[in-house]
Amino acid sequence: MAQQKRRELLKAAAAGAAALGFPAIVRSQQKEVVILGLWDQTGAFADVGPLNDRGMRMALEERGMKILGQPIKYVTRDGATQAGTSTRRAEEAIDGEGARFMIGPWSSGVALAVSEVAKRKKVLHFFSGGTEDISGARCHRYSFQWAASPYTAAKTVVDNFMKANPKAKRWHLLVADYAFGWSVEKYIKEVGKQHGLEFVGADRHPLGEREFSNYVQKAAANRPDVVAMINFGGDAVAGAREIFNFGLTPKIPLIMAWSSGVEELIQLAPEIRENLWVGTNFYYTADTPVAKEFVKNYRAKFGTPPGYAPSAAYSMTRLMLAGFDKAKSTETQAVIQALEGIEVNDLLGRMRIDPATHQTLRPYFFLRCKPKKAMKEELDLAEVIATGDTPLPKEYAACKDIGGF
Amino acid sequence: MNLLLGQILNGIATGMLYALMGLGLSLITGVLNIPNFAHGALFAIGAYFLVSVVGVLGNFWLGLFIAPLGVALLGLAIEWAGVRRLYSAGHDYQLLFTFGLALILNELIIVIWGPVGISHLPPAILRGGVDLGFTFYPKYRLFVMVMAGLLVVATWLFLEKTRYGAIMRAGIENKEMVSLLGIDIHRLFTAAFAIGAYLAGIAGALTAPIRGLSPGMGVDMLGIAFVVVALGGLGNLLGAIAAGLLIGVAQAMVAAYWTEASTAVIFAVMAAVLLVRPQGLFGIR
Repeated sequence: MAQQKRRELLKAAAAGAAALGFPAIVRSQQKEVVILGLWDQTGAFADVGPLNDRGMRMALEERGMKILGQPIKYVTRDGATQAGTSTRRAEEAIDGEGARFMIGPWSSGVALAVSEVAKRKKVLHFFSGGTEDISGARCHRYSFQWAASPYTAAKTVVDNFMKANPKAKRWHLLVADYAFGWSVEKYIKEVGKQHGLEFVGADRHPLGEREFSNYVQKAAANRPDVVAMINFGGDAVAGAREIFNFGLTPKIPLIMAWSSGVEELIQLAPEIRENLWVGTNFYYTADTPVAKEFVKNYRAKFGTPPGYAPSAAYSMTRLMLAGFDKAKSTETQAVIQALEGIEVNDLLGRMRIDPATHQTLRPYFFLRCKPKKAMKEELDLAEVIATGDTPLPKEYAACKDIGGF
Repeated sequence: MNLLLGQILNGIATGMLYALMGLGLSLITGVLNIPNFAHGALFAIGAYFLVSVVGVLGNFWLGLFIAPLGVALLGLAIEWAGVRRLYSAGHDYQLLFTFGLALILNELIIVIWGPVGISHLPPAILRGGVDLGFTFYPKYRLFVMVMAGLLVVATWLFLEKTRYGAIMRAGIENKEMVSLLGIDIHRLFTAAFAIGAYLAGIAGALTAPIRGLSPGMGVDMLGIAFVVVALGGLGNLLGAIAAGLLIGVAQAMVAAYWTEASTAVIFAVMAAVLLVRPQGLFGIR
């Protein structure tokens, strides 16, 4: 008995010593893996940044904030949706915090500037957005693109919309006047040729536009069969609302070609969503085990299902961590090499990273919004009528050489 | 031609809303001598109040009546509890106060109504559009045009034709003289702030069915309101009305031919006018 007590005492003492002394030594030897989330808390995408952060945090917490036995230090910076601020703060986090991996930001225009920082500072950079340049003309070894290629998106949207509405040949486009809008517009026109579409108008509007009456009146004057918007977030919501106010929808269909999905749709009254067709990088009813689990946990935590923003951040983080696993290393260049050509069955189903361009090859979703009477519950907004994953044809590929480290 | 007429109509409708915002801001800036950075937030709160009141009472018209009054009360409270205490502290502190207040109100909107935008449809009677011959036009926009026009005229008449309006204009011209004449200048300040807040609130409420609601909606409007005030001439009320309409119509006309420039034109018009008339359209100083 006494012996046992003594043994227990010794055990406790050893445990105590371990808790106090040892881990301190171990900890000092164990290097932290610093990962930066560059998410806007102010500026045009101030409403999106917190959602990105949610997704990224969930992916890291799933791993217990550890990778390959090393602790992950997750740092975030507010890029203010501005190139100057974003690059400055990214550099500060790289130099000051020792971040060797970064994800974000949300704006494609800003991300192009941040991508240059990644290249110069030799930091792995994951990004999701509509510019094709990150995996195109300005591709390099350090940046990766998660969102579907604008070609994949345009092809999925136009092909499947025309399948359902073969007579709707006169299209009017409303395009956000920056990198992503131009990319998608180019390919919608390109794919449209195959369907014999006539583009009766294509107006570009400044990012952050709130007064859409002027554009809608012009669109109406062209008497199109369909209006397609290539814009995002608040712009898309304001546009859809005004198109409804002017009586265009639901008489003629409206397409949101590159939507955040649920986040934009819940901002629109059911009446406005009638005859609305939506292309998106993620929709929460995606039929994969990872998506089901993620959506369940996200809803339990935040009440609403996740849209494109948190899901992209979640999936990018998971892909990056999968790269660590494959590389069995936390060295930036080893992880990059592991990610090149990686193939996983993850959030969207089969996902692969093209080693030649760093473009993620993955399905793009096309939805049709449900009329009010067909909705089973408040968030039963739309059904996925098709997915598409046609990659960018070789003749359009602008990334000729991904380059070295 | 038809398109142009339609665009002019759009321009007048948005211009009227800009004028309402500018008029309120001009009144506050003129009388209290502070640039009210919370003016955009008051605009947003007007819209959110409308949605809440309509949600509870189920009647748009009651909402349109009550919501701006709520914003006026809020303005009253802000002046009484905040701005007034800072008159002695000086200009910079008042400026900082309204700036900080704008941030606080913006965050409060997120806390109370959530970060996600909301759609609010016009009342059933104003849904859909009418065929004006040259264009199909939403009924609600026509209503906003008339309503905002009436409000602008009513404010104008109040300031020009009533005794209290005269005192207010005198307050803009010369505060010392007004207080020397035995008028309680602080009460004047409170009233000006409340009326300014009311105008921002009703502009917000009227805008809700057109642009929907989002926490950042005030920020978008604040910049335009300041442009309207600068363009019209600081503290000049007629100028604010003219400038609001000018900007609304300019924006619409430019959008007809060169959509990319429709935001830039707001500032281009301001720059062009201020180059020729640094005191603004109707300013004397």
